[in-house]
Parts: sequence; structure tokens; C-alpha cells
Amino acid sequence: MGNMREKYTIQRWLESAPQGYLLDTVYGDTTEQMEPEFILNNDVLLENEIRTTVQIIGGERCALAVSAGLVNYAKDYTTKTFLATQTLDEARHVEVFTQRLIALGVKNEDLEQTISNYINPNLVKFTDILMEKVDKGDFVAAIVGQNIMLEGMAFSVFELLKAVNSRMNVRFASIISGVLADERRHVGFGENYLGDLVSDDTKNKSRIESMQEEMSYHILSSFATSFKHAAGAIKVKQEMPKSNKTPISAVGEWTSPGLKDMSVSDIEMILGGTLIKAFKERLERIGLDYKTPKTPV
Amino acid sequence: MLNTNEVSKYFICGGSTDNRNRFTLVDTGFNEVPLVYRKYYRAYVGNGDILSENEVLCPVCRVIIRSESTLYPGDKVFCLVCSSWLQVVMDGERRIAIPVFD
Repeated sequence: MGNMREKYTIQRWLESAPQGYLLDTVYGDTTEQMEPEFILNNDVLLENEIRTTVQIIGGERCALAVSAGLVNYAKDYTTKTFLATQTLDEARHVEVFTQRLIALGVKNEDLEQTISNYINPNLVKFTDILMEKVDKGDFVAAIVGQNIMLEGMAFSVFELLKAVNSRMNVRFASIISGVLADERRHVGFGENYLGDLVSDDTKNKSRIESMQEEMSYHILSSFATSFKHAAGAIKVKQEMPKSNKTPISAVGEWTSPGLKDMSVSDIEMILGGTLIKAFKERLERIGLDYKTPKTPV
Repeated sequence: MLNTNEVSKYFICGGSTDNRNRFTLVDTGFNEVPLVYRKYYRAYVGNGDILSENEVLCPVCRVIIRSESTLYPGDKVFCLVCSSWLQVVMDGERRIAIPVFD
């Protein structure tokens, strides 16, 4: 029915991304707009945007390292080819979000220190677990970690961010839109590549499920911390004049008119619930059971 | 230029092609596939999005795939966005798609 080699060609990638939705973008943006003044002129909002962007950069740097690291472990050239395109996608994501830090006023010489100051320790631990799989050449576990867990998380988070920013910050929403399009290919590859591969191997199954449990803990912990930090900014946004609020917009499960009146804990609970549901569905399709991690403190 | 064979290989009928309503598809602005395929896809806009009888939601990448005729259980469609083959099945009254791995 399908031929893996035909599905994952550089030609298809070129026609879809660089010659498709990325055509005429500049650092991922099609709007030629600046970051909104209400963000740049408000210390609470500005710090929150910087912090959020740093977490995204951390995730994208992880994905770049993992996809590049896996190219040499892939057993066939179709997989190597796909991972090569994913590597470039991830490098582009790192670049566009780093460029966003510059647009938010971070100086070039302060970039690494800013990232180091704001990066969530749980995200660093998540990256360490994944890189350990890559370093050991544990290809299947690394693909589950990256293309199911990391990309699955990114998918839900970017849908939320796109819904929230679709009118409030069209520049950021435009950047996210292109990244989200890339993520669709990455999650698709993960599920198609893994298929029934994992469920047929009992030893691999329990090992990978343990890894998933540990990774889920760090993901949920990083969200808990992020929402604690974001509480002030969410309150400021909810109290802003109506002209700055998002009218009607919806992306995936998210509808921004609903989001604007929610409390921070409600948004965290819904995002956490959405993520777990997405993980469960994706893992189930490749024959894995979701293991509930201990509750993050 | 659109190659009909190229497109038709992405839609496989699982049963009779009789009595299927025909649909004229138009490009809705979904730009994540090459130009000639764009009318076969549209963005999913959330839980309130009502799918037509020629549409299914790709559960992998959450984009809506559109056929030129009614989709029935047993039909197979290819999601060019995430490169997944999907089979159309009924979930109660709902027409859904589930991935079929190679």
C-alpha cells in the first residue's frame, strides 16, 4: 500500500516546506510585524515571553541534538533521509525562536546566559534522558522519546500558543504556524516508523514504558513550574483592555475566548489533561501503555 | 500540473463506488502540502468543527482529509501531511479514521 522510500523523500519535503508554507517567510514570519508594544512595554509580560521562548528553544535544541545524533544509527537510507530533513527543521526552529529572543530585546551577547537563567531544570533532565538513549544507540527508545513524547508535547503546546496568540501577537502566531506544520511530519514519522515494532518485543516494551513514565514526570513538572511563573502574566493579560484581547479563534482543541477567562490552575489542568490524553492515544497506536508518573510537586 | 493518477493512489475505495455523493473541492488555504494537493486537505478548527461525509480527521496530525466522494467504512485515505495511511471506520454515528501501518 505504501512505500516508505516514496513517503520520505527530500523532494516531498522541499515541495511541502521550503517551497510551500515557508516560502516568503523571514525567520518563520510572514507578517513583517514587530513584537507587540504591550509586551515590550510591560516588564511582567516581557519576562514571561522571554521565559516561554527559552523553554521552546530548550526543547528544540534537544530535538536538534537527538535527530542529528540518530542519523548514523538508522539502519536504512529512507530513515536517514527523513531524520536529515527533521534535523534541518529542528535547526530552523532553534533559529527562529532564538531570533524571537532578539526581537524581545535580548542582546546577542546575553543569549546563552538568558537561556541558562530561564531554562526549566525538568526540561534539562528530560533532554538528558533522551540523549542517553541516543548515546547508547538505543534507536527505538530514542524515536519514542523524540517523535512521540517530545513532538507530541510540542504539538499540544504549539496549538495552545497559536490559539492564544492568533490575534494578540500575529508575528509569534505566524512563526508557530510553520513550526506546527513541521511537527505534523515529525509525529507522523514516529508513529509510522514504530508501528507495531515495540509491542511485539516484551523486553523493549517495558523498558520504553519506564522511560515514558520518567519523561512524562519531567514534562508535567516543567508545566507546573512554568505555570507558577506565568501566573502574573496571565493575570495581566486577562485584565487588559478588550482591544488587546483575542476575539474568536480556535486551533485544535483550543478556543481562545474560553481561555481568556480561565484561572492559571484551570489552564494548567486542561493543558496537562490534553497532553496526557494525546500521549495515551499516540502510545496506544504503537502498542504501548501509558504509565502514569508520580504527581509533580 | 495535476496528475490524476498521483491523486487517485491516495484514495482507495473499500467497497462499492455506487451511490456516493460527489463533491467539488476548492482550495481552503491549507498550505502544508504541495499546491496540487491542497484542495484535499483543510485545517481542523477544534471540537465544534463539523465534518462532511467526504471528510475525516487524521488522528495523527489533526488535519482534515477531503475526498471527492462520500467516504465509507473500509475506504483508505492517505494523509500527505504526516504520511499516514488511514482506514475509515464508524464509531457509533461518527465517521473516523484510524492509522494503518505498512
